[in-house]
Amino acid sequence: MTMSTSFTLFSIAIKNLRRKPLRTAILVFAIGMLVSALIFILSFVKRVDSAITATSDRLGADIILVPTGARGAAEDVLLESRVKSFYMSRSVLEKIKKVRGIDAFTEQTYLVSITGQCCDVPETVVVAFNQQTDFIITPWLHKKLGRRLQRGEALVGEESALNISVGLTDVDGILFGNIFKMVGVLDRTGTGLDTAIFIDESNIEGILTKGKSALKPGQISIVFIKVKSGADPVVVANEIEDSIIEVDTVTRKDIGRSVLSTLRDLKRVFVAAMLIVALLSVFLVWTVFSAIANERSWEIGIMRAIGAREGHISRLFFIEVLCIGCVGSVLGVAAGTTASVLIIKNFMLLKSVATDLTVPDRLLIALLSFVAGTLICVAGALSPIQRLKKLEPLLAIKEE
Amino acid sequence: MRYTVGSQEITAVRGAALAIEQGDFISIVGHSGSGKTTLLSLIGGIIRPTGGQVLYEGADICAMDDDGLSHYRNEQIGFMFQFASLLPRLTVRENLLLPAVFRPRQAEPADAVSRKAAELLRMVGLEDKINAYPAQLSGGQQRRVAIARAFMNRPALILADEPTGDLDEATEQEMMDFFTAMNRTEGTTFVMVTHNTDLACRTKRRLIMQQGALREE
Repeated sequence: MTMSTSFTLFSIAIKNLRRKPLRTAILVFAIGMLVSALIFILSFVKRVDSAITATSDRLGADIILVPTGARGAAEDVLLESRVKSFYMSRSVLEKIKKVRGIDAFTEQTYLVSITGQCCDVPETVVVAFNQQTDFIITPWLHKKLGRRLQRGEALVGEESALNISVGLTDVDGILFGNIFKMVGVLDRTGTGLDTAIFIDESNIEGILTKGKSALKPGQISIVFIKVKSGADPVVVANEIEDSIIEVDTVTRKDIGRSVLSTLRDLKRVFVAAMLIVALLSVFLVWTVFSAIANERSWEIGIMRAIGAREGHISRLFFIEVLCIGCVGSVLGVAAGTTASVLIIKNFMLLKSVATDLTVPDRLLIALLSFVAGTLICVAGALSPIQRLKKLEPLLAIKEE
Repeated sequence: MRYTVGSQEITAVRGAALAIEQGDFISIVGHSGSGKTTLLSLIGGIIRPTGGQVLYEGADICAMDDDGLSHYRNEQIGFMFQFASLLPRLTVRENLLLPAVFRPRQAEPADAVSRKAAELLRMVGLEDKINAYPAQLSGGQQRRVAIARAFMNRPALILADEPTGDLDEATEQEMMDFFTAMNRTEGTTFVMVTHNTDLACRTKRRLIMQQGALREE
């Protein structure tokens, strides 16, 4: 007769988990749901946070100047890739030159293409920019084209390229009655400009001549401003608004403020929901382990009578708790990550936001959620385990 | 010696001094409710008295902390309970190995433990039941496994509460022969509670328990 040699507390713990498979599965499922919800929420919040930060950084401007009342529209275009247009007089450029603390500025004009009316491309924003003064698009343009755009040429944002089928070969498109050669695709900028088409502002004359856009002569949409080193963008922005009444300003830190405000509210709702779910999970685990403690008090009495210490009993139950917590958390990480990749894209707030989470971000969220799920499981089981290990052996045995 | 159950204090043994020498084989007889099981439980340290002393090799076990008492129960005592005491979700093998799981690490190599368990199972005649669960055994077979388990850690003192209660006569005699052999060859000390006067006659000392009071026959 031979016997295999390994029989440990871990073996006993696994046997105990398997004795009531449905109960174990329910606990694992509950922890999994908690963790997947946590991952979903953290991914959502982090993604929006990152997108806004990335957009404001990548634009490269300290201040954005827009027509009075057009702040929201400008953010819609820059952050959420919405198709909007707004105009102010080009004369503001002369007024900007008189404001102290400005290092550089460049203007852009936004035109909205409407398929079938003016253009043969899907509805998008056409950005006419000043290549002489530009510092927003040029960094990406030079990487891709290596030269300036000529008249009659257009560059396409990465996401628009899919719609227009611009790829390895040049494609012609009609914009506002003028034929443009799509000569390349811009690298992903992570801003709303990824859905735009870019032309040099020298093309505006031809567009105005054809009369197929809402733009009037002498109009621009937006001015991007860099302040001098050491200058406070808020102070410069205030001076601009004081001296030029027909404009509103948005500083870098305020870009996306309305989105951030919505997000803050959403965060509060999510945090409250998560706290409730976490408390419910703790309570569920406590309830189940209290039932387990009652069921197994006789067995624990026997174990104690044959020499198990309080530490053995604690360890036995903590192994069970950790198994449930870890397995549930792993499943929750898998489900939550999948959900955050597939479902989150359906949220309007994120639909147009260009950035996705980086791998390190996802790993950190997964790790935090895994630890939280496991700890919540442990927290729920603490009290019943404490009670069990303190049982007097004879009294526990006699309770049967 | 007194102990507490809930709010009730119970005097288990009154005005008695019991000295057990190494190698003793003591039987305790008495009516139900006379305090025999409680006496064994107090000696075995599975309940703490609120008064009195239990000295083991000069040390008062009542003054030990929980770890010390657990160590005493695990290493020095082999307890045979009056009732079925096998854990139902563990196999016969696993029930046997249970006392060894609670020993300090490296007390004995795993191989040696397994061989000992196999040998004990052979000695009680159940070597073919290693992987059976208690529910698959008769009451008598479960009792024999429990007897084997009590010897797993080679305790110096066996406390046996009606150890042959579920056994037929032939098996009962067999187990007594086993106990006697262990007492003689290994020097294991036995304190056995029994209603069976024939078995009691086979022991070296006989004590009578009556309403918590103990006297030697």
